[in-house]
Amino acid sequence: MLAQLLVGGLGTGCIYALVGLGFTLVYRTMRMVNFAQGQVFMAGTFLGLFGAQQFGLPALPLLLLVAVISFVVGMVLERVVFRRLYASHEVFVVGAIGLGVMIENGFRIVYPEPLPFPKIFGAGVYHLHGAVFQKTYLWILVITLVLVATLHVTFTYTRIGRALRAVASDGEIAATMGVNVQRAIGATFGLSFAIAAVAGVLIGPLYFVSPDLGDMVGLKAFSAAVLGGINSVVGTIIGGLALGLLEALAAFYISTDYKDLLAFAILVVMLLVRPQGLLGRVVPVKV
Amino acid sequence: MTHRLALLAGALTLLATMLTAGTASAQDIKLGTVIPLSGAGASYGASIQQGLDMALHEINAAGGINGRKIVLDVADDASDPAQSVIALQRLVNDNDDLVIGGWGSSQVLANMAVAERAGMPYIVVGASNPRITTSGNKWTFRTLTNDNGHAARLAQVVDLLHFKKIAIIYDTNDYGVGLRDIFLATLTRQGMKPVDVESYQTSDKDFTAQLTHIAAAEPEALMVFGTLPAAAAIMNQARDQGIEARFMGAAGVSNEAVMKLAPQASQHLIATAYFHVDEDATARDWAARYEQQFAQANQAPRPSQAAPAYEALKLIAAPCLAQAATDKDKLRLCLKDWHGKLFGLPPGDAHFDHTNQLIAPLVVEEVVGTEFKLLPGANQ
Repeated sequence: MLAQLLVGGLGTGCIYALVGLGFTLVYRTMRMVNFAQGQVFMAGTFLGLFGAQQFGLPALPLLLLVAVISFVVGMVLERVVFRRLYASHEVFVVGAIGLGVMIENGFRIVYPEPLPFPKIFGAGVYHLHGAVFQKTYLWILVITLVLVATLHVTFTYTRIGRALRAVASDGEIAATMGVNVQRAIGATFGLSFAIAAVAGVLIGPLYFVSPDLGDMVGLKAFSAAVLGGINSVVGTIIGGLALGLLEALAAFYISTDYKDLLAFAILVVMLLVRPQGLLGRVVPVKV
Repeated sequence: MTHRLALLAGALTLLATMLTAGTASAQDIKLGTVIPLSGAGASYGASIQQGLDMALHEINAAGGINGRKIVLDVADDASDPAQSVIALQRLVNDNDDLVIGGWGSSQVLANMAVAERAGMPYIVVGASNPRITTSGNKWTFRTLTNDNGHAARLAQVVDLLHFKKIAIIYDTNDYGVGLRDIFLATLTRQGMKPVDVESYQTSDKDFTAQLTHIAAAEPEALMVFGTLPAAAAIMNQARDQGIEARFMGAAGVSNEAVMKLAPQASQHLIATAYFHVDEDATARDWAARYEQQFAQANQAPRPSQAAPAYEALKLIAAPCLAQAATDKDKLRLCLKDWHGKLFGLPPGDAHFDHTNQLIAPLVVEEVVGTEFKLLPGANQ
């Protein structure tokens, strides 16, 4: 019984962590929160459905295709939309929410009804200590690990990764060192879109695809990022996993009625008590 | 310059023609409908609109009602109770002559007060909570058997199939909670107690916690008191978790979309329903025409959801409109006295009771392959 909850909670936690990483990447670079992240996640699921149905792509090529397309879309949207919203955080937040609403309703016009997602990760189930879970859960865990490891290696050992970190640390100084700041910001948005969209494909076979798929996931992923520390990659991953597990356990041992409440209670408590999150650091304001 | 002005005048004339082409003229009958075309109830709302469209085209093709055409005024409530109030108010403000629609008990319980305040005849074709017709709203009629009827039929099936261990999972909206309470009371009268009762919210996607409880209780039948898509997701996830119980539900799961969303898990799902193609020859004939007419539509035809809307307009409202025209009070009185023929019933058998609740039987069906079939032994 516990194993069932742990597997389910871990799977959901990985999704929160990945979508939360999108928040973190943008926040680290721009000090701004992109609240369209949930809708990007949803759009990724639709993109995965389209790729699977129209081209019959197997799991790995499909994930790669969705990541590449979403990366490009993220860069384009940064150039066309987000760049015009950098004037203030308030403008950016409202603009991002507006973009999310537009994305969601755009999909709703074309797809008013939920659609089933093909079992691209296999139709079988695994048995573990009395728990029965779909193969999809294993894919979620493995792909999350691969993505996190890839991000770590990229940020730590590659030129582009160091450039992104430099811009995140201080854009002006990075620019004086020859880093193309605008391109780095565009790449950051592209990366955040790609990760969220891949998370959308990972969760597709577990749920139905519908325009509202990203509403709650987006908010909970934000909550997870705040829990772990929105400017910390490791913190966001830990926050996501913790939130997924806590939700599963609370729903079972307390009540399913309070499952959503838990995520937002954590958000409120963290913002009041430790706004920088578990592993986040306080960034001093420059004057 | 003159040439440009002439072009502009021509374009404006064309635009004006296009804008007025689809609007009602003064003598038309304006039929309003408040339905979900987005949100959780979208698959139901589109079917209701198809049923109304079909009836409307048949009536208009035959010359209308006393020479007056019917035009449809659609208000999408996005499956949301608050928006359904605004949607129905919009139909009232549009000076519609009557409203047929209303899907979801929470939505109808919220918006029916608008119909009463405005004196608008409102025929509900998509909500089954008993309170809709027992709260004394004289302008609201319902053509669907309420949840008392569903609970009684489900309890009969439990008895018929000798199920001893029943679990329930219900949506926490007015539909799910109402059905849970009535079914639990019915079970208690039969001397039974469920092995587990779980709840969920309409927008939930993951049911692992509830299903883990249910799996531990090892039920023979799992009552799913809710609507799609959540109900179909519950069935899929239950099977994935190894739960082998027979799924049962009321009209919320009697929607052909369940076989698309849960093709394997929904097999042998038992549902109480308002319509079945095998009820009688008129039902068969109607379903064949309906499926042919909407075969190429954006949404595949779903007779179980479209039939009550078609019947409400073609068989119930149209005779009253012919008799009372668009005098709303006369229309309401005509509906109260209406006796007529519905699918599966002899002529004159169908009528409304003193609470404006239609008295009509339910059928019990099960999913077999990609169709609903009448459940053997349950429809005598």
